[in-house]
Amino acid sequence: MNEQPLNLKRLHPTRHGRTAHGLLAALAIVALLLLLSVLLPLVWEALPALTAPFLWGKGQGAIGPEVLNTLSLVGGSELLSFPLALLVGLYRVEWVKSQGPLLRVFDQFATTMLSVPSIVIGLVVVDVAIARWHWPVSTMTGIVALALMNWPLSVAYVVEALQQIPGRYREGSWALGASRWQTVRYLILPLAWPQMVEQAGLATARLMGETAVLIYTAGVNAAVHWSLWGPGESLAVHLWLLRTEGVGQNAQAQAAATGVVLLAFVVLVLWGSKRMAQWLKNA
Amino acid sequence: MVEKRLTKREGVSTILDIRVQELEVWYGPAKALENVSLHLEQGAVLALIGPSGCGKSTFLRVLNRMIDQVPTVRVKGSVHIGAFNVLDDDIDVTALRRTVGMVFQQPNPFPMTIFDNVAYGPRLAGVRSATKLRQIVEDSLKKSALWDEVRGKLRRSAMTLSGGQQQRLCMARALAVHPHVLLLDEPTASLDPVSTAKIEELIVQFKGRYTMVIVTHNLQQAARVSDLVAFFEQGHLVEMGPTHDIFTAPQERRTEEFLTGRFE
Repeated sequence: MNEQPLNLKRLHPTRHGRTAHGLLAALAIVALLLLLSVLLPLVWEALPALTAPFLWGKGQGAIGPEVLNTLSLVGGSELLSFPLALLVGLYRVEWVKSQGPLLRVFDQFATTMLSVPSIVIGLVVVDVAIARWHWPVSTMTGIVALALMNWPLSVAYVVEALQQIPGRYREGSWALGASRWQTVRYLILPLAWPQMVEQAGLATARLMGETAVLIYTAGVNAAVHWSLWGPGESLAVHLWLLRTEGVGQNAQAQAAATGVVLLAFVVLVLWGSKRMAQWLKNA
Repeated sequence: MVEKRLTKREGVSTILDIRVQELEVWYGPAKALENVSLHLEQGAVLALIGPSGCGKSTFLRVLNRMIDQVPTVRVKGSVHIGAFNVLDDDIDVTALRRTVGMVFQQPNPFPMTIFDNVAYGPRLAGVRSATKLRQIVEDSLKKSALWDEVRGKLRRSAMTLSGGQQQRLCMARALAVHPHVLLLDEPTASLDPVSTAKIEELIVQFKGRYTMVIVTHNLQQAARVSDLVAFFEQGHLVEMGPTHDIFTAPQERRTEEFLTGRFE
């Protein structure tokens, strides 16, 4: 290593800073333009189909049932998987003391589960729930499949949120005579909620766009009904179906419109979870 | 009012001296403490000195069973604090830790308001009345000499305080559950000289009211605040005696070498 002596005349912090700033800003603008180049044509294509009867009518091609299905699929699977993930995560971080081989196996298992393709989970659900237990292809089956898919991810972010809380807080609490449970209840969870809620929002948004696992489990049909055991086509699946097999002159416009609605829901969920996290943080 | 409560409690409670006999601690296969026996009378201040890794903090953490958090730890011997048989498996650790408070090396206030920090312990103990909580918080903050600096700001986050203030807040938090013993694990290691002086002042003030054990790497601090000094080396208690005696005429050669900086 031949170290050059520091030549102050060749240091131009202000100029370098400005160049870097300009470069990064340009990259950001390019990224934004790319996004808009996808979004704007989609919205343009969708406009003719975005009518009230299409959104909440009961007629041919209306997506009201799909909206409802999407909400119950995503909501149901979060209701099922998040509490379970919370319990597992809490136990993993707050109760397990040893760093033994069992813990390594658990972590390895959790990571592996994270990388299982969703369609594999769908096939497992088909094999077990539909083929053996004779569940119908329905919203309920879809909920179970999505929950299975979401669960490892939820465990991962719960664990991460808990591990980010410094150990010295726990020590402080224990030293005051708090039990593990009290420490979790009154100190750890209030601190961890904001991050967990935000991550749950991200996970929910991801579930909204999920198709592969739902095609076999929740099906590609929708009808106006309130039962969890009825056909449960979601918005994303509907979009996929219209784009691949849609016939009729309006199909592509309807697909685009479905996409826009789906996107709106995703944005809503992300924004809502962020706001809620913020609110929890300040509470 | 505060004084009255303290004396009343002391009247009820048994003697809170600390008696340690043949204490041995292992971390896995490694022995951290070997055959440590000592006696500390109620209200006295004991300073633990010695090189890093000599077992001072381990000893401290045995006293309120915080050592339990280490997965592979094994503890043998007997430790009595007042009526508590500390190493008993069936001991109520919660009650022990309320009696034996602890302040850590790094100020660790919870990321909540100043009030909630001090009220944390009492709330866990079931104090619900707002008036009572306010009274406890005020008393504790006054005892830790923080009241004048934070009165009227109790709803602010504890994280807005300076390092020294945070440490005194941790003191207040420990005092709020009315302990009789205070364990101080290098309480001034991360503080500036002025904050250090304030903490030391508190320790001197607390003499007689609380039995205190303080781990310190600052020999002058040990000389300033303690009644007794115990010198640890490689898990052994080399020597323990009145502070003045240890600093002027240590009995053991190792102690003398450590105190005079000729230690290897």
